[in-house]
Amino acid sequence: MRDKLAIPTLTNLLGTPITDVEGRLRGRVKDVAVGTGSEAGKVAGLVLKTRKGLEVVPATEVRPTPSGAIELRPEATLRPVKGDDSFILLRQDLLDRQIIDVHGRKVVRVNDVDLEWFSHNGGESLRVTEVEVGLRGAVRRLLLGVLPKRALEAVARTFPARVIPWEFVDMIEVDPARRVKLKIEHERLARLHPSDIADILEDLAPAEREAVLTTLDEEVAAEALEEVEPKLQKHMVESLDSEVAAGIVEEMDPSAAADLLAELPEERSEAILEEMDPEERQEVEELLEFREDSAAGRMTTEYIAVPRTATVADGVRALREFDGDPETITEIYLIDDADVLQGVVPLARLVLALPGTRLEVLTDPQFISCQVDEHQQKVAELFDKYNLRALPVLNSAGKLVGVIEADHVIAFLREGR
Amino acid sequence: MLKRWRTRIVLFLAVLGPGFITANVDNDPNGILTYSQSGAQFGYTLLWTMIPITLALIVVQEMCARMGVVTGKGLSDLIREEFGLRMTVIVMFLLVIVNFGNVIGEFSGIAGSLQLFHLTKYISVPVCAVLVWLLAVRGDYKSVEKIFLAASVFYIAYIVAGVLSQPSWHEALVATVKLPPRSAWRDNTYLYMVIGIIGTTIAPWMQFYLQSSIVEKGVNVKNYGASRLDVIVGSIFTDVVAWFIIVACAATLWVHGSGAIQEAADAAEAMKPLAGRYAFLLFAFGLFNAAFFAASVLPLSTAYVVCEGLGLESGVDKKFKEAPFFYWLYTILIVGGTAVVLIPNFPMVQFMIFSQVLNGILLPIVIVFMLLLINRKDLMGKHTNSHWFNAIAWLTAITVALISFIYVWSLIRR
Repeated sequence: MRDKLAIPTLTNLLGTPITDVEGRLRGRVKDVAVGTGSEAGKVAGLVLKTRKGLEVVPATEVRPTPSGAIELRPEATLRPVKGDDSFILLRQDLLDRQIIDVHGRKVVRVNDVDLEWFSHNGGESLRVTEVEVGLRGAVRRLLLGVLPKRALEAVARTFPARVIPWEFVDMIEVDPARRVKLKIEHERLARLHPSDIADILEDLAPAEREAVLTTLDEEVAAEALEEVEPKLQKHMVESLDSEVAAGIVEEMDPSAAADLLAELPEERSEAILEEMDPEERQEVEELLEFREDSAAGRMTTEYIAVPRTATVADGVRALREFDGDPETITEIYLIDDADVLQGVVPLARLVLALPGTRLEVLTDPQFISCQVDEHQQKVAELFDKYNLRALPVLNSAGKLVGVIEADHVIAFLREGR
Repeated sequence: MLKRWRTRIVLFLAVLGPGFITANVDNDPNGILTYSQSGAQFGYTLLWTMIPITLALIVVQEMCARMGVVTGKGLSDLIREEFGLRMTVIVMFLLVIVNFGNVIGEFSGIAGSLQLFHLTKYISVPVCAVLVWLLAVRGDYKSVEKIFLAASVFYIAYIVAGVLSQPSWHEALVATVKLPPRSAWRDNTYLYMVIGIIGTTIAPWMQFYLQSSIVEKGVNVKNYGASRLDVIVGSIFTDVVAWFIIVACAATLWVHGSGAIQEAADAAEAMKPLAGRYAFLLFAFGLFNAAFFAASVLPLSTAYVVCEGLGLESGVDKKFKEAPFFYWLYTILIVGGTAVVLIPNFPMVQFMIFSQVLNGILLPIVIVFMLLLINRKDLMGKHTNSHWFNAIAWLTAITVALISFIYVWSLIRR
């Protein structure tokens, strides 16, 4: 078993002398290059500072010696570092930088990086195991050079370690070209809940925020953006390109998109609307006409309405074909030829009924609705009084034009506090 | 006519933001005391420092605001990312020490100002400390900040007090633009006071606080003009108030030969017979407002800045368990500051000025870091410093370092 104290961390590795087989000093470790994509976590090479400048040697061509130094294997070749290599440099790109801890769902700062030697095709190679963000890494770096390495490690180990396994580390790269080259796609981040992504975005600096947001899939970005607090939402969209912003705003819930665009300066929102898909654009533009604190200003235009003659099977089909997020749906609306609301069917009743049943049978004799110009306070009162999950919004002719969901009500009630 | 005035006032208030708030916290009891003391001890002969200090303050604060807007990161974040953990820890350690000194000063100010209204410090200070602590942890700091900002109208009290003290305007104005005789430089106490004035006016914590506030406000580069104006207006306002405090104390305490004061509140007390009851009341109330405001801001901002730089969890929206270091540091600063002030016969004045001298000694270090950061093209793009800004900032750093060095040297030789 290898000496427990000899676990190589980035801090310990930096500055380590590298000798050739004859024991001549060739240089010192300056940085550690780590692969990305399919090679993620594998150390591609050690960057040395030699007399000829910066050179890199593959990790498979070196071995650790018992004295703590690193020795080049006989076959080792050093080659100069090129600027366009596609690997992460741990010291330059990771140490002291902010990363996203995808597992803990937050932004943290890197104090140290733990590596390990492992057998590789008969030889030995290095890989990254985890990054340290807690006191242990910090203490190790602070006392490096003050205490001998062994004593230092012993002191550092008295502090609790807070580590993030490498597979949960999501790096942020501001430069788009380098992002592509390093294959930083944030796919694990994208699987988090939109609200968690929003919290993470709120913790980042603007440039980094933009980098993450534009890397994410437009749909994920839109869902996350909806959850970001309004003031910041505005800043974030303002800093984006109109075209990129339009792509994200298109995917947002129309009511959220309208709220957001209403906050932006006129010319900016015009520019974004210009870039949007005509259909989405029209929906958003209609919502923009209304006062923000009216029922229409709070409603969404994504709902499911079927003809009053429809059956349960038709209802289920409509739900399957629904364009928006089906999870937000709590009821299905029955309308006549003139789009006038005729009845409301809660989703639960639809599930319990036989497929051939006519939906009309499942409606309540009376349903609650409100007018487009109703004040939001009144809307909240209706929700409270009738224990509503959703409230259909009608225009003066009784036509169904939108729906307010309970989460919209919670949002504006909290806003008003 | 009325409407035009109203829009003007609204426009002016819209500009007031982080820069103005920072400037107001800057005139904390430590500042008031240092200015009072320099007026009381040296009369008008320190007034010349005001113009160069204002210029330096504007330049340094503008640099912070610009860095905040362009990078979207706080100063401690930037130091951490560009200079590494060890450098950050050293700077943060010094900042905590210096700021702890400042916090003690703020609580001394609370003690002193309420003593004027015959409230013993053994009651006033602990009560205010608890209020300050609760305000940040349980209360809504943003709305309280607005109240403070409105209350900073009381700083005008110092200007009024200055006028009421009937100074020799001619002498004061001449002293503002004329350098003191060379013999003044050989005086140890005079040098000490110069460092103190610089340190209290361009306090290191302000740079960290301002940059974080700008980042939090989320100003973008396009709207930067307004923030710059905010910084300039704030800096000038601070120093106009400072000028009047020095003048008021010079016209009363120095002219009547009362000499050095023992407490910030002494200045108010001494003013009562000389400049009337209203000058006294204004001075006293202004002092309390300044002390409470600064006591609410400083410990909190120190805890934030340190945690940011070290990458530890921070924020009053977190639970104690989630951000233990943040809460401990915040609590220790307040409790420690209170405890020190409650020591019987604690030499408050000496300590407060000493803490401002520490500010002055840390200042060049912070400015050098800022200069190294702001001139980096990869961070700032086309918003790096102009030659003039670099010249003024370097000059400030070198001058302060030099004066501090001369002072320390003269101490050693003695």
